[in-house]
Amino acid sequence: MPSDNTLYLISVVVTAWAVTFALRALPFVLFAGRKRPLPRAVERFGDLVSPVIIAGLIVYSYSGLAWRTAWPYLAGALTVGLQIWKGNPLSSILAGTALYMALLAVTGCASVPIEHLESKAAHPLIRVTTSGLRFQDRPVTPAEAVKLLEKNGVPKDQTLHVLVDPDFDDQQALWVFQHNYLHRAGYAKALLMIGERRAFSGSARLKESSADGTVIPYAPHQPPERR
Amino acid sequence: MNSLPVLMGYLTMGFAAGVLLSVKALIPCAPLWSAIIAFSAISGTLSFAIVPAIAASDPFYSIAVLTFAINFRYAFYGFSMLGRWRGIPLLQKWFLVHSLADEIYALDVACRLPDPRKNRLYCLWNHALCAGYWVIGSTVGALAGAALPIPSRGIEFAMVALFLVIFTDQMKGRLHRHAL
Repeated sequence: MPSDNTLYLISVVVTAWAVTFALRALPFVLFAGRKRPLPRAVERFGDLVSPVIIAGLIVYSYSGLAWRTAWPYLAGALTVGLQIWKGNPLSSILAGTALYMALLAVTGCASVPIEHLESKAAHPLIRVTTSGLRFQDRPVTPAEAVKLLEKNGVPKDQTLHVLVDPDFDDQQALWVFQHNYLHRAGYAKALLMIGERRAFSGSARLKESSADGTVIPYAPHQPPERR
Repeated sequence: MNSLPVLMGYLTMGFAAGVLLSVKALIPCAPLWSAIIAFSAISGTLSFAIVPAIAASDPFYSIAVLTFAINFRYAFYGFSMLGRWRGIPLLQKWFLVHSLADEIYALDVACRLPDPRKNRLYCLWNHALCAGYWVIGSTVGALAGAALPIPSRGIEFAMVALFLVIFTDQMKGRLHRHAL
């Protein structure tokens, strides 16, 4: 019996494959019996739309980087500069990435100020687990987590505790979640806490929220003691 | 053969994508999934972009939108292959279409063999070899990422760099065409 995680990943792979294959097969389906060359307009359209989409992706993906610092822009300038100059994609990408990683490592600007306040994690609504972000027990995206906080009327002037799995070690992801999502949405007192290991053991289950959407406080299920 | 530059590129980029998946996506059996993802959608950009989506457990329809946006350009690659691939048996043609990625396409375009049989064999070998490099690179990268403490902070820039490179090349292509 495959787990939820496996089923989810299967759905991801099948979706990615189906969409990609459909796009690649499109011309062969459209012009199956055609002998004449293509209308020029089709090529023009492709020339125009593809760069626009890629440009949008660049802007969007910068939001996942330490975009308030100068580092991603410096690394980006190096990448583009090398690509214009040498035209070797591999060396451009490696050089840009190496510069960005080095700048982060040297300046430490993406590190998260995590406070170890283990015992205060009484009713955390949001948890960061090694398998992703959870609002109560629901897997959510960072944006959804913020929306759910607002929908449930969680006060913005009070300290909001976010429980982090001690095995979750992606500092950058935590930093982005705290600063780009929670703080920007007005949860200025959002606090990341490293949880106790047993709260994240396999049998830990959170209570579901009730049908009308009101919040039931989270109480971690303690795994039975082994004797 | 012609695919040597692609060998270096695909092994390295596949390796980076594999490391990223095993370090950031936080899923069990990452090397296996890395290989599956690498082969199912032979698309470097997607292999990178899908990692944060998996880490955030994005639903499949967001994955579909993401894939569509990233791989939209592939819809235009097939047009120049319509004539060349006419008459190739359906199953082989499906494989060629399935693996029509950037660099593989570039190699297809670079070599024009007049004899249809040689042309077909060249394309098949090219696609099979390059797809193989890509899958091997991705798998080894994910194994390494799971086994070794590779410093990973900031490695997500590789995807942005890949977008930047694609965009730069598209702009260079435009300038070139205007100059002609």
